[in-house]
Amino acid sequence: MAIPRKKKGRDGISPREELIEKIRRLESRAARGLWAMAGFMAMSIAAWRYPDPFSHLPERAAAILGAPPPTGLISAALIVYIFSAIILILTRMATGAEAGVGFNHVGYLTGFYFFYSVAGAMGENFWAVLVAGITILSLQSYHLWTYCAEQVRNDKETLAALERKEKFASLYSPESREGEP
Amino acid sequence: MLRNLTARAIVPVAMTVTGFVLVCCILLYAVIKGDMTRSTIQHSVSLADTVMKSTHYAMLRDDRESLGNIIVNIGEQQGIKHLRIFDKAGIVRFSHHPEDNGHEVDMTFSGCLGCHMEPVPKETLEAMQQARKFSAEDGSHVLAITAPIYNQPVCFAGDCHAHPPEQQILGILDIGLDLTPLERNLAEMRGRMAVFTVMVLLLTLGGVAALLRRSVILPIQTLAVFTERALNDTVVGEFPHKEGEIAEIAANVKRLHFRLVESDKELARRRRGPQQGSGAGSESEGGDTRHE
Repeated sequence: MAIPRKKKGRDGISPREELIEKIRRLESRAARGLWAMAGFMAMSIAAWRYPDPFSHLPERAAAILGAPPPTGLISAALIVYIFSAIILILTRMATGAEAGVGFNHVGYLTGFYFFYSVAGAMGENFWAVLVAGITILSLQSYHLWTYCAEQVRNDKETLAALERKEKFASLYSPESREGEP
Repeated sequence: MLRNLTARAIVPVAMTVTGFVLVCCILLYAVIKGDMTRSTIQHSVSLADTVMKSTHYAMLRDDRESLGNIIVNIGEQQGIKHLRIFDKAGIVRFSHHPEDNGHEVDMTFSGCLGCHMEPVPKETLEAMQQARKFSAEDGSHVLAITAPIYNQPVCFAGDCHAHPPEQQILGILDIGLDLTPLERNLAEMRGRMAVFTVMVLLLTLGGVAALLRRSVILPIQTLAVFTERALNDTVVGEFPHKEGEIAEIAANVKRLHFRLVESDKELARRRRGPQQGSGAGSESEGGDTRHE
């Protein structure tokens, strides 16, 4: 049985190299959730230090923006958001779907900081957004990390099988038999 | 890390439950705090209204002694930090601390900056805007209400001490309420909510851990022992759990074990057959059976 030692793929890369590259990509992606968390923490520090950056808006700009939404409405939206985000992440975890990094959540959470700020109700609500962000991004990072770890484990198994196959092929290839009597 | 099944199951549950309950508690606390603060402000506004109505007649009659007595008596109520009336120039005319009378109000004081931050002070404020919070000199937090005493026809048309009609504001009534009771209540509520959150968390984690142990971990441990027995060719026996996927796996393992035992027996019987028939050809036969 003659198995080619290194079958080249579409781009002239062997499946073995492709797998190694995929493992490297997955390993670097697994830690990307922390970048989203770091971005959110930076945004939170800014919101904590400058809770009311829109208080000195010119009257004209304030008139264009209109009245801020009621605080109760923003809080209700925050509860709906955290609930649905958690359900979506848990569903993806349960079905084994691909995990996202979570940069979109940083955007949504920044939106909540913005609305609480223009409504002049940062106070305790800052902590609510902070805890919501930490919860969602931790869960997202955990999902990403476990998903990537599982993929890496599968790919490493495939790689090991491929290497065994290649070793077997090299043992029985015509070149290796040339020296035999 | 997190190779343990229980830990892998509990980590997302712990994160989800803790985060969601904490966010709900914080938002609930913020709503309750807002409601209680609004209620305190309403109480202060009502008190200011009471003072205004109580002093109205004394003001019209220019009865300063009665006016002073009313201010002192109301100011002695529990929870009132200060009660004073000052004129437009900021000179305290009546205060429940008599030593303040005649002194000028410090406009740089944090309690005054709400209206006097800009060069032209605000003249009209809504009820909620009249309220301001600041720290008193003794460090306690104060919620103060300033109610302007507007010039009315009955004031400038009177024959006793008429004010000019163009003067819009005659003076300011300033009431400061001690926020310590409110803060104490809020702190108690925070503590109760923290206890509630910890209880919910412990109950959820305990419940999940107990259910996992009962339904997953223990059957899997039993299955591990069961399969190990099958591997070591000892008597397999009956799998204690009769229902569920793990019981099915155990039944399949048991069937595989019996098939293997039967195959071994068959193999041994075949080996023994030729040996009993011809002892000389046993070596070559043995080689064949290995292939079998």
